[in-house]
Amino acid sequence: MTVRDVYVIGVGITSFTRLEYPLSEIAAYPAMMAMKDAGTRDIDHLYVANMGGGRVNHQTGLASAVVDTLSLTPAGAETIENGPASGGSAVKTGYMAVASGLHDTVMVTGAERMREVNNLEATDFVATLTHPLAEHIYGVTLPSLAAMFTRLYMEKYGVTERHLAMVAVKNQNAALRNEFAHLQQEISIDGILDSPEAMTNNPYVAELLRFFDCCPVSDGGACVILASEEVAGKVDRPLVRLAGVGQASDTHAVHEREDPTDLLAVRRAAAMAFERAGLTPADVDVAELHDAFTILEIVESEECGFFPKGEGHLALERGETALGGKLPINVSGGLKGRGHPVGATGVAQAYEIVHQLRGEAGERQVDGARVGFTCNFGGFGNNVVCLVFKREN
Amino acid sequence: MPREIYAYKCKKCGHVHYPYRMVCRNCGKNEHNEFEPVPLPKTGKLLTFTTLYSLPPDFEVPSLGLAIVALENGITVTGQHRIDEPETGMAVSVEVEIVRRDGYDEHYGMVFYKA
Ligand SMILES: [Zn+2]
Repeated sequence: MTVRDVYVIGVGITSFTRLEYPLSEIAAYPAMMAMKDAGTRDIDHLYVANMGGGRVNHQTGLASAVVDTLSLTPAGAETIENGPASGGSAVKTGYMAVASGLHDTVMVTGAERMREVNNLEATDFVATLTHPLAEHIYGVTLPSLAAMFTRLYMEKYGVTERHLAMVAVKNQNAALRNEFAHLQQEISIDGILDSPEAMTNNPYVAELLRFFDCCPVSDGGACVILASEEVAGKVDRPLVRLAGVGQASDTHAVHEREDPTDLLAVRRAAAMAFERAGLTPADVDVAELHDAFTILEIVESEECGFFPKGEGHLALERGETALGGKLPINVSGGLKGRGHPVGATGVAQAYEIVHQLRGEAGERQVDGARVGFTCNFGGFGNNVVCLVFKREN
Repeated sequence: MPREIYAYKCKKCGHVHYPYRMVCRNCGKNEHNEFEPVPLPKTGKLLTFTTLYSLPPDFEVPSLGLAIVALENGITVTGQHRIDEPETGMAVSVEVEIVRRDGYDEHYGMVFYKA
């Protein structure tokens, strides 16, 4: 199959926090930034990633609202819903549109406005992606699936609550170097694990996962503009190519997996993205992984091929995944620190990687980063999108 | 409301599924709902569990025990547990009870007890 090369020519993002704007504006604001960044308003098509507009914000058909508020009509536009992997799916769909030759320039914008409801309702809304009869009726939520997964992982591989706290501290404190990140409060292992107040500061949400192991509920939007080589050549920005995309699924109900500690969809999506890019995990200089729960960063760092299975927590201990380490992971703060407006997350990961590969990431810049990677994890690992980016000039 | 919970055995290859799906995961040849419902065993082994403190709004309890259990026939299931000091690997019995009420609907599901 002949596919065209696909480049990222513009990026934009909102602050991830509580935003008092309509959902369509949360999607449109980063899109305006991205068009300014790219120096063009010549957009053939829009993909708008969103998970909860219909349920949480009483707004369906979001793409039609976004294309109009941006005055980009009559460009085609559609909303892409793929759970918490909606953003990655939308980027992948944009890639397909340009790679196939159907369009030359496409906008991919992701947005979510979850803080319109309270935290419990937001968690319940996300829980509707679990299996209706085999999981959801029991009160299963994403944190509870992550907690049951964590217990198995601890027993099998020797991960401890201290490792989880190390991820929380690394990512939440990384967010202090990201002006768009939701959490702007420094934390320490002492404060969330060791001190007498730790159990009060950091109670269990779902045993053995604590409050600081879980990402916050955020509003926010992010945008990337993808284009063909011909269009990208006319844009005066550092040239970053979306070199590979991969996606895979797994059983809807977590209990059906042969070994529930394997995240096969992550493994397959990552391998596919690397194969398409003609690159390997060893080539990656900076990665954004889907740390909706701290355990996930450790496991994804293994399943994506960066560390052997069961050794992600050892790499974390050695400091390899911190800024300045061998493979910095989630220097943006990740979902844990930057926040997790579900439909926007996959696009925000792409935003961060492009920022890094352009060398524009300021005090969180990974020196000399040339290859970047994202993993956007939907469901509890039943629908995963991975992307590989490469700096080309 | 069903008070018994069934697994679904493929009539072509014998693979047992829980929960129900329309096409057999093992042979892929099952095209006309050719499954035989088989009752789930009433005993099993606790694989993993959690106590959830941050509950969906329609649960009026302070915390909720959730677990994944491997039943005697090897089928794994998710359900609620009512065990004071759960440990992975422990033997459990399975009852079918009301596990959730939303509005006027009562949902029956599996509840695990210490065997
Ligand atoms: Zn079969």
